[in-house]
Formats: sequence, structure tokens, C-alpha cells
Amino acid sequence: MGRVRTAVARTVLAGVLPVLLLASAIGRPAFGADRFPLALKDDRGVTVRLADPPRRVVSLAPSLTEIVFLLGRDGSLVGVTRFCNVPPAASGLPKIGGVSDPDVERIVALSPDLVLCTTDGNPRDKVRALEEVGIPCFAVSPQDLEAVFAAIERLGVLLGAADRGRAEAGALRRRARLARPSARDPETPAALFVVSTAPIIAAGEGTFMDELVRLAGGRNAAARFSGRYPRLSVEELVAARPDVIFVAGMAGVERFPPEVTRWKEVPAFRDGAVITLDGDLVTRPGPRLVTALERVSAALADWRASRPGAPPAGAGGER
Amino acid sequence: MTGGAKQGGAAFPVLIAALLGALALSASTGPVPISPRAAFDAVFRGTDDTPARVLLSLRLPRALLGALVGGALASSGVAFQALLRNPLADPYILGVSGGAAVGALTVALFLSADATPLLPLCAFGGAALSALAVFLLARRRSGVSPERLILMGVVVGAFLNAVIMLMVTLAPPGKIPGALYWLMGDLGLGTPRRVAVLFPYVALGTVLLYLLSRGLDLLLLGDHAAFQAGLSVERVKTATYLTASLLAGSVVAVSGLIGFVGLIVPHGARVLVGSGHRRLLPAAFLLGGAFLVLSDTLARAASPAGELPVGAVTALAGAPFFLYLLRRNGGRS
Repeated sequence: MGRVRTAVARTVLAGVLPVLLLASAIGRPAFGADRFPLALKDDRGVTVRLADPPRRVVSLAPSLTEIVFLLGRDGSLVGVTRFCNVPPAASGLPKIGGVSDPDVERIVALSPDLVLCTTDGNPRDKVRALEEVGIPCFAVSPQDLEAVFAAIERLGVLLGAADRGRAEAGALRRRARLARPSARDPETPAALFVVSTAPIIAAGEGTFMDELVRLAGGRNAAARFSGRYPRLSVEELVAARPDVIFVAGMAGVERFPPEVTRWKEVPAFRDGAVITLDGDLVTRPGPRLVTALERVSAALADWRASRPGAPPAGAGGER
Repeated sequence: MTGGAKQGGAAFPVLIAALLGALALSASTGPVPISPRAAFDAVFRGTDDTPARVLLSLRLPRALLGALVGGALASSGVAFQALLRNPLADPYILGVSGGAAVGALTVALFLSADATPLLPLCAFGGAALSALAVFLLARRRSGVSPERLILMGVVVGAFLNAVIMLMVTLAPPGKIPGALYWLMGDLGLGTPRRVAVLFPYVALGTVLLYLLSRGLDLLLLGDHAAFQAGLSVERVKTATYLTASLLAGSVVAVSGLIGFVGLIVPHGARVLVGSGHRRLLPAAFLLGGAFLVLSDTLARAASPAGELPVGAVTALAGAPFFLYLLRRNGGRS
């Protein structure tokens, strides 16, 4: 029943929300320009001051580019990384290099009035070099889902789209809440998130993938390892016995080699519960993490439904 | 050297015991609990439950692979040190590693995941090609001098290193972890089939080197002295070079670049049995095998963050041990 309710709610939200958003957008001054001049502290503790809403923004991470589009401020984007491919329109923007190797000179040449960066991935000295030539840099480094929503709100303020930011973050929070299993789903499958299948590299504690599994009502089968990305031997995989395995697919690592999948001691291999998710979806701290949560949640719900003794799908209300 | 020889009498039983002990320890270490009883049943009664399958298709192959790889690297190191008359020589010094890495990375980074079985073959091909290139570049009509071999090896190695860096930079990001683990040395690929594939190469290589022992002893005296002692110097050098490269190349193909073993284990073995190759080669094989199996056991058991690449452990754990061994014996080797 939980899933039915979720589906209904999703449909309602998808239909109604845009209307609400549009209504709220019409009713207010375009960019929330009344908040400027503005001083906002970023995740490094650096206070960024802007006299006016920024008109030329460079984004140094795909997640930040997604957020700028979400806030409807993509018109101000003058430069993105070569990895910024979502939404598709981002691919057409001028490239300033990669996340770990942004080209400082190219960024300066774009004369941005704001650079959005992250402390996980962008080299600190390159960001400092930009600041030294007088370009304000705003760094965000959300470590969990709620922090991503908060970052969307703060970037909304910074980009002169505060109301839009609040509305989008609120909508994402609601979707995330709906995606979580109800209290009547007591079973917590052991789920393993891997970012590489050969070698097997799992997502441990402190990763978004770990949080997704827990929020979706599972337990992370790699939680006993320390470190964020422990590497598991086949034997450790056999010992961990995950019920469901998620593969954060990146180019060419989606499938486990046959000498791994032949271990039917692993319930996920025995039952064919190996699910590939787009790697970008689960590693980018952006709005689509909620989509990832919905997928993970749906997969774990499927697992519960396939348990012996589980009520047939759609008839759960009697339980 | 007489002292070494006398020590050597007791050294072999100890070395054999060390290797067997290391194999047993490795086979009994891992996250799936296996009782001695279950292990006995698995080996002698052919049981087919999870512990038995873990023991027979994961742990034992991996331990045996470690022994073969460690032994082959150490033997190859002994041969290169004699051939080049240089105590700093190791199996990788002449560009074998770079060639193997380029071959392996081509498969790992730029072909589809389904091509993974090709990896050892391409690594071996790369190693053989670069070894041959170095040899042909270094050869002159007068023969092959150690200095020219090292010079050519270093130049070819530097070139191949640049190619490796370029390949890793251009690789799709999802494939980089696998490539890096391979570059750091990794026994995680130990499957019964890999062991079976590697075994003939290692057996052939070590037996050939053993047959060359007397020649290697003479090479240490210098080309001239060796010639005067009746050695066909160029033939022995060519045979040694090709055999040691074959050993290194086949090992690199299945386990990546494991450092330190081929460089230091030969010196440790010299401390134990002296520098006569008839004793040194088997001793180095046993010591290298035991050492790598132990290092791999440590790499699997010691880290709370999942498996470490064994290449990181060999130097980390090995350097202090061998420093102790070498200092205690006052550099007699």
C-alpha cells in the first residue's frame, strides 16, 4: 500500500507543483533582487559579498550546474566543466576544464562575477588563485541529502532566486519523504552499493550511497569496513551476503565478471537482485539524488514484496 | 661465503617450512569462517559447501598464486642482478614493467569489460615486446654490455611511463580504479585458472635459470674472466636475459606491478645461503614465495578499510625486515 500511496502522491505532485511554482514566480520580483547587496558565508567559512545578483556565473562541478538550472538561473551561466551534461542544455555551454583541473586562465577570461565551487573535488589552490584576481568564489560541500537541499536554498539566495530555491528544496524534501518506506515495512535488507565491479569497490559510511540505502530502509552491507570506499575481495562479498546490490554504473564497470556472479551464496546473485543505476545519479550531490533515492527505495520495496510470506503487491493494506 | 654455505645447510628446511607455513596461514585467514574440520573435509572428502568452495576456489589459488609470483620475481631479480652485475637491478629495471603495463592498460581502459580475459595475454605481449626492444637496442656487434642494457632499459622505461600517464589521464574515470590497483600490484585475481596458466611459465623459467647457475656464477667475475673460464658469455647472457624477462613478464601479466620482492629478496637470500647461484636461486624462490604470501595475508587481514593492494604491503612490511637482515649480517652479501 505504501507504494501505491507514493505513486498517487507523485502523480499529484508532478501535476500540481509546476502550477504552484509558476504562480509563486509570477507573484514576486524576478530575482529577489531586494536582498542585495548581500553577504553570505560559504562552507569554507569565507564570506562572499555581492552588490547585485550575479550575471556571469561559472560552475566548477556538475552538481552545481544542475542546481543553477534548477533555480532557473541558467541564463547567467557562462562556463561549466566538461562533465556538466545534465540537463542536456548544459553540454552546450563553454567549458572551463574538469572538476579537478579547472583552467584558471580560461575562467578569468570569461570575467565571471561569481564562481561556484566545491571543497570535495575542486583544488583549493586554483580556487584561491581565482579569489586573488578578485573573483568571488562560493564553495558548497554538502555531506548528506538534507545539506544538499539546504545548499539549493542558499544558492537560491546567492543567485537572486531565493523563493525559487526554497520552493525547489521544499519539493525535493517532500519527494524524499515520500520515497522512504513506511514504518510497517520492518525488514531491512542488506544492500551493497558498488562503484566498481572489478575490482569490487563498495560505498562505505560517509557516502551519499550509504545514506540512500539507509533512507530507503536497508542496511549497508559494507558498513563494517572503515573508509568511504573500501575494496572488497570476492570472499568478503560472500561473507557480507548482500540481498540487493546496486551498481553505480560508470563507463564499462556495470557488470560483475562471471567468476564473481557464480557465487550463489550471495542472495543478490542467486535472486538476480543486481540493479544498475547511473553513476552520475548517486555520486553528484545535486537534486537528482532524490531520483536515486526513489529508485533505491523502489528496488528495496521489490525485494520485500518478493519475500516468502510477503503480501502480494497491492494487497498490503490488510497487514 | 663459506659461512654462508654452512648456514645454507640449515637454511633450506627452514625456507621450505616458512613457505608451507605462509601458505597455511594464508589459507586459514579470511572473513568466511572455516573450521579445521571443514578444511580437512574440503580437501580430502570433496565436500561442496560454502567453506569448501571458499577454500578451494578463492583462498588456495590466491595463496599459490602468491607463492608462484613471489618466487618468480625473486628468481628473476637474482638473474638480473647477476646479468647486469648490479645489486640495484630488479625484474622491472629493463622496461618489462612498462611494456606490461601499457599492454594491460590498453585492455583495462580502452576495451570493453568483456575483454578482461585478454588482459594477461596483452600484458605478457607488452612485456615481451619491450624486453626484446631493449635487448635489440642494446646489442652491438661486440655483444651486450650491462651498461648499455641498463641505459636502454631506463630510456625505454621512461618512454613507456609517459605513455602510461597519458593513458591513465585519458581513461574513462570509471575504469581508473582497476588500472591503479593493477599498477600497485594485486593478487586478488587469483583463480584456479590463472594459477594453471602461470604455472608452466614459472616452472620453465625457474628450471632454465637453474640450469644457467654456473654461467651466472662466472658472469659475476666479469665478461673477460668468464670467457677465460670457458663460458660462451653471449649465449649465457642472452639466455638469462630472455628467461628472466619471460618470468617477470608472465608474472606481471597476472598480478600487476609488485615492487620490492624482486629487488630485495635476492639480497636476503644471499645472506642466508651465500651467492652461489645453485643454492641462491632456489633459496630466493622459496623466500620470495613465502614473503609475498605473508604480505598478501597481511594485506587482506590487517586493513579495516577492505583489501590493500599487496604491492603497498611488500615494501611497507618488507623494508624493515630486510634492513634488519642485511644489517645483522654486516653487508656480507
